Amino acid sequence: MSPVRPKRRPFPWIRTIMAAGVVGALIVLGGQMLEQERVGGESPVTEAGPRVPNAVFPTDTFVGKDVPQPINYSHKLHAGDLNINCLYCHTYARRSKVAGIPPTAKCMGCHTVIATADEKPEIEKLTVMWESGQSPAWNKVNDMPDFVHFSHERHLQKFLFDNPDMKVEDSREVCAMCHGDMVEVGVAKKMRPLTMGFCNTCHENNDGPADCTRCHK
Amino acid sequence: MPSLLGNIFKGWADYSKGVEEGGHHDYEHMFAMVIDLDRCTGCNACSTACYAENNLATVGEDKFGARQAMHWMRIERYFDEPDMDPDKDKVEPANETDTQSRGASFLPMMCQHCNAAPCEPVCPVGATYHTVDGLNAQVYNRCIGSRYCANNCPFRVRYFNFYENAESWPAPMDQQLNPDISVRTKGVMEKCSMCIQRTRAGRDAAKREGRDLKDGDIQTACQQTCPTSAILFGDLLDENSVVSKVWKRQQVKLGTYKQDKENSELRGYRIFEELNVDTKVLYLERVREV
Amino acid sequence: MATKIDRRNFLKVLGLGGAGAALAGCDMPSYATLEEGEEQVFSYLAPEEYMVPGIGVWYASTCLQCAAGCGVHGRVREGHALKLEGNPDTAVNKGKLCQMGQAALQTHYNPDRITSPRIGDKNVTWPEALAYIKEKGRGAPAWLTGSIGGHQAVLLDTHLRASGGGTHYAVETINAQAWQAACADTLGDAQPNLHVDKASSILSFGADFLGTWISPVKFMADYGAFRGDQRGVLTVVEPAMTLSGANADHWVAARPGSEAAVALGVANVLASEYGVSISTLPNGAADAIAAMSAGRVAELSGVDAKTLSKIAGTLMSNHPSLVVGDGSYETAAAAMMLNLMLGNVGATITPGAELIPADLGVRSGSTKALADFATDAGAGRIGTVFITGTNPAFTAPGGLKIKDALNNVGLKVALSMFEDETTALCDVVLPLASSLEDWGTHVPATGADRGEIHVQQPLMEKLYPDVLGLGDILLGLSQDAGADGLADFEDYYGYLRTAVSAMIGTELEPAWQAVLQAGKVQAPAQDRAFTANGALSFNVAETKAPAPGQLHLITTARQGLFDGRHANLPWLQEAPDQISKAVWDSWAEIHPATAAGLGLKDGDYITIGSDSGLITTRVFTYKGVHPDAIAVPMGRGHTDYGRFATGIGVNPLSLLDGTQDGRTGEFTNTATVRVQATGDNRHLVRLMDTDRQYGRKLAATITADQHRRNQANKQGSA
Repeated sequence: MSPVRPKRRPFPWIRTIMAAGVVGALIVLGGQMLEQERVGGESPVTEAGPRVPNAVFPTDTFVGKDVPQPINYSHKLHAGDLNINCLYCHTYARRSKVAGIPPTAKCMGCHTVIATADEKPEIEKLTVMWESGQSPAWNKVNDMPDFVHFSHERHLQKFLFDNPDMKVEDSREVCAMCHGDMVEVGVAKKMRPLTMGFCNTCHENNDGPADCTRCHK
Repeated sequence: MPSLLGNIFKGWADYSKGVEEGGHHDYEHMFAMVIDLDRCTGCNACSTACYAENNLATVGEDKFGARQAMHWMRIERYFDEPDMDPDKDKVEPANETDTQSRGASFLPMMCQHCNAAPCEPVCPVGATYHTVDGLNAQVYNRCIGSRYCANNCPFRVRYFNFYENAESWPAPMDQQLNPDISVRTKGVMEKCSMCIQRTRAGRDAAKREGRDLKDGDIQTACQQTCPTSAILFGDLLDENSVVSKVWKRQQVKLGTYKQDKENSELRGYRIFEELNVDTKVLYLERVREV
Repeated sequence: MATKIDRRNFLKVLGLGGAGAALAGCDMPSYATLEEGEEQVFSYLAPEEYMVPGIGVWYASTCLQCAAGCGVHGRVREGHALKLEGNPDTAVNKGKLCQMGQAALQTHYNPDRITSPRIGDKNVTWPEALAYIKEKGRGAPAWLTGSIGGHQAVLLDTHLRASGGGTHYAVETINAQAWQAACADTLGDAQPNLHVDKASSILSFGADFLGTWISPVKFMADYGAFRGDQRGVLTVVEPAMTLSGANADHWVAARPGSEAAVALGVANVLASEYGVSISTLPNGAADAIAAMSAGRVAELSGVDAKTLSKIAGTLMSNHPSLVVGDGSYETAAAAMMLNLMLGNVGATITPGAELIPADLGVRSGSTKALADFATDAGAGRIGTVFITGTNPAFTAPGGLKIKDALNNVGLKVALSMFEDETTALCDVVLPLASSLEDWGTHVPATGADRGEIHVQQPLMEKLYPDVLGLGDILLGLSQDAGADGLADFEDYYGYLRTAVSAMIGTELEPAWQAVLQAGKVQAPAQDRAFTANGALSFNVAETKAPAPGQLHLITTARQGLFDGRHANLPWLQEAPDQISKAVWDSWAEIHPATAAGLGLKDGDYITIGSDSGLITTRVFTYKGVHPDAIAVPMGRGHTDYGRFATGIGVNPLSLLDGTQDGRTGEFTNTATVRVQATGDNRHLVRLMDTDRQYGRKLAATITADQHRRNQANKQGSA
């Protein structure tokens, strides 16, 4: 008769896998909550101005990296101190899917007279480009992947132009929903995550479309 | 968390309501087509226009032979004419003559945007679904490439990107790409979308102008270029649209596979009607003098 | 307790373990940084007000992919032309466009475009190239072009006059010269208006009006109406099925070269069985018709008496009809006889319009011009030649030995977008702007409808800085040659604008903008009037069955690759041929019975040889070919035409011997060839490998009787 081998408990595979799954889930969820704290917080839009009437304002914020640009354009100066309306430069947002970087002619419209090339080195750079027929190569800051088709026009229509309680003069509030208050920055910086979750949350809260092909065609 | 449960309950409510009303959506539009096989000359302009409009990749001879081409719209060509006339004795069947005496039959075939599409329920990630326009939509960035949908399609109108296909557009040919529609990458399924970028643009234009969409606002690329105007496109929910009128005249109804026509000799029919997938392309039979 | 992982437990394990992992994997914050700073955007400098990024601007222009000259609307986004559509306001194509027109984008954006002038192997600058031409040019230069009209043609004539009175050879392989000659001889008008939409029946003898003949998009647009509620009947008689034949109610296979006999045979039946008068026909016709008995027709063409009667009966029951014919002068003339007999002249055939001044009109290309060029060049009469819009080294019949003729010309200058077989033989090559980058006016191939000519304007900036438009080159050369009245013009745009302003009677900017927006301009024109003609002569070919081991070759053309000019466009190489559905390669069409007789099956490689050349290609069998014929489509077989065309397929034009038609001087597109199997077989890649529906209701057909019954019931069809 063969010696009796002591019966060892077989390795509890099933329990181990289930436990690992639960622990893993906890780790990642916990990590997400921590992450949320890092990026979460109040919108830097100043409390002084009104939020967009008839809209639920998204609150996620994000600290983007510094993106160098060919011309050190200051939003703080133009949109802030000088209080130029966003739509004055980013005109195309009213009619097109892209808000558009203003054509150099728009800049030169003022800067051939005010703060000219003699006075400001950045304007001198711009003027040289203008006179040699060269377009500045701006680096996109608030860029979407190519499979995302976002329409500025539709959003401005809803929150600004078709919004009875909004005036075009206050377009800054609407732009701030996704771009943050640009008066806080000089050169443009990304101030909202602009992830699909960010877009979807706003859509859910503001009766926006949930149809995939509205944005992914 | 609460919104997740809320969504589930709302989704169930919508579905139940829809089942009672004979459909599971409140459709805003029901885009459909009519293709007149007697006018279609088989010239292939529609197919090439689709390549130009929708960033379709050309694949070359070998991959074409391996059935890996991307032609969302293809023109099939048949030489036989099954069951042409109830008086079969009158007509010499095309198969039995020694010359092709009644020409060829051309069939433009593309996604039929079935209301009961067999491709929709089988996607493991929900990358294909029915929009409120009545179109079968494909979301490229959601697709993981299981190819189950293509397997289910009875018309074989779904095309998979087996390759990166970047060499289809050697510079500067890539400058021709349409920015209104994504360029698909390897591993993604694609198919005719009835020019969703154009339907979107048309609907947005109507909204911007504060009016309803009217017939003719939206033209698909194939329809616009077809030299004989064999392709008609429009909204079945719009009573004044040309397609509505033709569907009505041909006595073909959505939502059923038993078309009880008063006049059984009307020219309009849907392909594979008996499969009950409720296609939205109505074909008008080719006519031949015998 | 031991729990095994078996089937029952597996899902449980997977479920809980997997769910935990799945819950966690969403919304990773790193996506937020994915696109930051990755791409660039170039802002405009000083755009027009209507240029909004993200919204396209549409410009009207003209398609130059064939001689039809359809009007187009081009969609331009951010300075790039993206899509072409037909111009809805042009009477020729009424907003429609064929696949060649759609593919014009690939012609424009083709990676194989020539971007710099060259002399021999060396890239040079324009001044260097022009200086070289001036230095090496001998005698009065000749121009070898495709079909050309509008102000470019006027400037070309100006240059010829100023530079010593050289000859203009306008060459076009796919043309309607036979038809135009027959119309000129019979009606006194080479380009009458043909009303496909007004006909109740159409009979075509080898004129592929839906595919490649004269203005296919126009005819297709009218064909849509032809097949409308009052459905017309189409009969096509030809040796191998073309696109028009594929759409026929009644397709008749006739031995290659015998279409004239069939046409005369039909006329004979009309006269003898239906009593249609032949007394008013031009002299010579009546005899030819009387001599063409049914027996003779059967002998020459293989078409039996029953078929002839059926064709005649269709014509008599469906009035007015339209009879067209091409391929040989006799065929076209016989078709015109039928028109006269049936009273179609004035109903479906009406006089065209003559432009004033006439030199604005189109110089229709012919193959006779190529024959003349070869003769003149061979005899050493041409010292300098400018070649543009034609590739004779590829399209010339093999028997013409065009390369030898070209080598006999002192200085050859090519103006071309692409390197091809002809530019390879030239001394100087000048890079041409594409049709989307250039200015011009064009007269549609159907003639200017009430004087309407089309305007071409650039849709975008030139892709390459060193290309020049044809008009600009012509202007420069003419100014250089001392032509009068051109000194004020800096460029062709200036010349064109002045000329068009004179046409519309004002130089004001808004009027010019209106012309550009419409894409067309009204030129002064005068309707021609038909004049009766005295005499015609018919030399009906003695066509007979080929000897054993031989077949009659027909070189067919398709709307797609056309005469080979579009073989470098991947969209058109990948577009399945309309009849065979083959892609990216050539094939030879043979009737199944003939193939069986030769022991051939689909996919078999065969050599096809004549005294002028030899090609090897694969067999494709179907019943749309006359049993005596072998049809090989032209378009492939390039040896030097860029990455998408070189080394693909075979060129059947190399088998033709260059025999010319007696009356028109056109090369015949048929030859007698020897066919031999090589023993190799490879599956021909096609869109679909089946030609049958196997009882399924896919492309269903009903009889016309059924169709008419429905209309009588007022239930209506579409």
